[in-house]
Amino acid sequence: MNITDFIRFTYDSLRAHRLRTVLTALGIAVGIAAVILLTSIGEGLHRFVIAEFTQFGTNLINVTPGRIQTHGASLGAVNTVRPLSIDDAIALKRAPHVQLADPLVQGNSDVKYFGKSRRVTLYGVGPDFAASLRMQVATGEFLPQEDPRSARAFAVLGSKVAREFFGAENPLGSRIRVGGERYRVIGVMQSKGQVLGFDLDDTVFIPVARALDMFNRESLQEIHVTYEPTAPVAEVEQGIKRILIARHGAEDFTVTPQQKMLEVFGTVLDAITFAVAAMGAISLVVGGVGILTILTIAVAERTSEIGLLRAVGATQQAILLLFLGEAVLLAAIGGAAGLLLGAGIAALLQLALPALPVHTPWSYAVMAEIVAVTVGLAAGVLPARRAARLDPLEALRSE
Amino acid sequence: MRLTDMLNFAWQVMRGYPGRTFLILLAMGIGVASVVAVTALGEGARLYVSNQFGSLGTNLVIVLPGRSETAGAMPGVLIGKTPRDLTLEDALALKSSRAVRYIAPLIVGAGDVRVGARRRETPVLGTTAEIATIRRMDVAQGRFLPEGDPRQSLPVCVIGTTVANELFGTRPVLGEWLRIGDRRFRIIGVMAKQGESLGFNTDEIVVVPLAAAQALFNTESLLRVLVEAKSREQIPNVKADVEEIIRLRHEGERDITVITQDAVIATFDRILRALTLAVAGIAAVSLAVAGILIMNVMLIAVTQRRREIGLLKALGATGRQIRLVFFTEAVLLAASGAAVGIAVGQLGRNIATHLYPMIPFQAPWWALVAAPVVALLTAVLFTVAPARRAALLDPVQALSRR
Repeated sequence: MNITDFIRFTYDSLRAHRLRTVLTALGIAVGIAAVILLTSIGEGLHRFVIAEFTQFGTNLINVTPGRIQTHGASLGAVNTVRPLSIDDAIALKRAPHVQLADPLVQGNSDVKYFGKSRRVTLYGVGPDFAASLRMQVATGEFLPQEDPRSARAFAVLGSKVAREFFGAENPLGSRIRVGGERYRVIGVMQSKGQVLGFDLDDTVFIPVARALDMFNRESLQEIHVTYEPTAPVAEVEQGIKRILIARHGAEDFTVTPQQKMLEVFGTVLDAITFAVAAMGAISLVVGGVGILTILTIAVAERTSEIGLLRAVGATQQAILLLFLGEAVLLAAIGGAAGLLLGAGIAALLQLALPALPVHTPWSYAVMAEIVAVTVGLAAGVLPARRAARLDPLEALRSE
Repeated sequence: MRLTDMLNFAWQVMRGYPGRTFLILLAMGIGVASVVAVTALGEGARLYVSNQFGSLGTNLVIVLPGRSETAGAMPGVLIGKTPRDLTLEDALALKSSRAVRYIAPLIVGAGDVRVGARRRETPVLGTTAEIATIRRMDVAQGRFLPEGDPRQSLPVCVIGTTVANELFGTRPVLGEWLRIGDRRFRIIGVMAKQGESLGFNTDEIVVVPLAAAQALFNTESLLRVLVEAKSREQIPNVKADVEEIIRLRHEGERDITVITQDAVIATFDRILRALTLAVAGIAAVSLAVAGILIMNVMLIAVTQRRREIGLLKALGATGRQIRLVFFTEAVLLAASGAAVGIAVGQLGRNIATHLYPMIPFQAPWWALVAAPVVALLTAVLFTVAPARRAALLDPVQALSRR
């Protein structure tokens, strides 16, 4: 039996029972569609999170006080007996490959302007903050380059704060009160929106030394370090550690490269995607059972046909291949339909809910098809073997 | 045709094709079992989280410094600093509310703890004796922090079991001196093993008196104040009282956030319930696939059993009766499949409980009802077309063919 005959034979037998074929393929299609849809959402979420992080740059290292890690952050950011100081941040600028090192302390404070008052997230930062996190200033300028230990009382507003206080007016040059002290507004940041629960527009940025005074605290919460994108991370990390250990006498701080954080997030999200996809794959297994059932019935129905084929010289292997081919073809049709269905629903979802990140990578399409064919093969083995082992004489007599 | 006849008839058909019946049961069973197992996992996680919160203490109200205009959990409020501290005096003033039973001010920080040459970075918790009652902490050896004026800084501490083992090994611990930062503390107790509770491991902490922690971290400001209400009904009163007392002490400014534990639990509950439902829905898709299989097999059965159906009709069976025959068969298949599925799902639950004894895996009642009901409904729904086809067969034609 040559290849074209083989394909035609399989195709004809599927076409002879059109409804049956459609329903069996539909079972596989639903399974594949579920898997494609769920992994698309998982992959979309993955990309979304990565994008949220990388908008601040990828060549970023966070240095936090204290070494115990809980909830992904160092406890030292709250209170510590081993503070990180502004001088530490200045010293880190001298580390090899380092471009910027910017101190940060964060808090919550009341901001007042002409009788209006608002609770905002207050960031005490150095002049390089905007540059190190790739944030843009909309009007005016960011905190000026001056000694961070004795900076002047300037403030830069987040876009939401500027809108709430000043509306359409120009806020530049106005004086606001932050936690009881007077600051001159010298800039407004571009809107950045919500990033992982932080509203980066409901913020006010002031010089870090003044924020430390205001909060009556001696330790920074963290130091953002950016390095040359081409430099090896491990070397930069070593340099940072060497300088801080020389200054503190011990390793009492935590160095977290952004890339490492991304990897952790990546693994967690991949695991979740995999678990959900596995749940969708249950339908695929049920679809496989469907193929098995239908083929078992088909073998019983077509006993005499098989007997005839054997009688005119078809080998056992040929019969085996025929039924396996049928199973694979069924699954492949189902897989392709499921692919279209899943990707279609994913696209519709994206239209209906633009906030929900959905992404269907092409590699998934190929993988889904391979999985479908594998399921078909696995389901086809038993019925195909049964068909191949039929005794031609008995089979012919069954008529 | 009586009901028993109908059941008997369907049973004969199912027995007549054992392979086919087995495969349909398998498909239905996989679907139902996955729904049951998945919801059991979700419900287990939900109960686990609820219990964890419960072990933090009941009727709890948490006071944090700082407030945010924007709704939602603002990390700025949760760990950031504020210009006006929440102080020990503020916390003590809360006792004047009649709805309050206990209060425990908290300061948390990272400290490096040393004994001789051994050192270890651990979270250091500064608080008062009442925290043991509020958060149900037990002491394995010695005693907890002494009662008394919380403004007084006694150089004593209570340590977690892991800390004790790491720093002292098998040596006796009580009465030994411990260095945290540049201060010395005498160990007066070791806490009983409690393990992880919501990411905070009490086995790995060192508890010192509040005033000592204030000096250690050079801060006046409390991270939060835990308040226990006298009863569940008093929680709203506590919330109102706390806000009013602090407002009066802070010159009329409302610069604190008050969270009730119930609100936190309710949020978690909602999220986990929604997740469980979503995942159960995904698993239920497999039930639809099993339904398609039933339809397929029934359609084939109609073709194979033409003569039988023709004979039945010739003997006077109405179209309705023929339909009923097919529906009975479908329901019987689905019901047995669901029974198998529930059994397997419960088996999976038992294995999971065996592997993770802390988590109370338990399929919720709604899943145990919904899974079989959905299985039955899909089976009936997908049998409509084949049953119709069978009922519409013309007896003469059906019998005339070979």
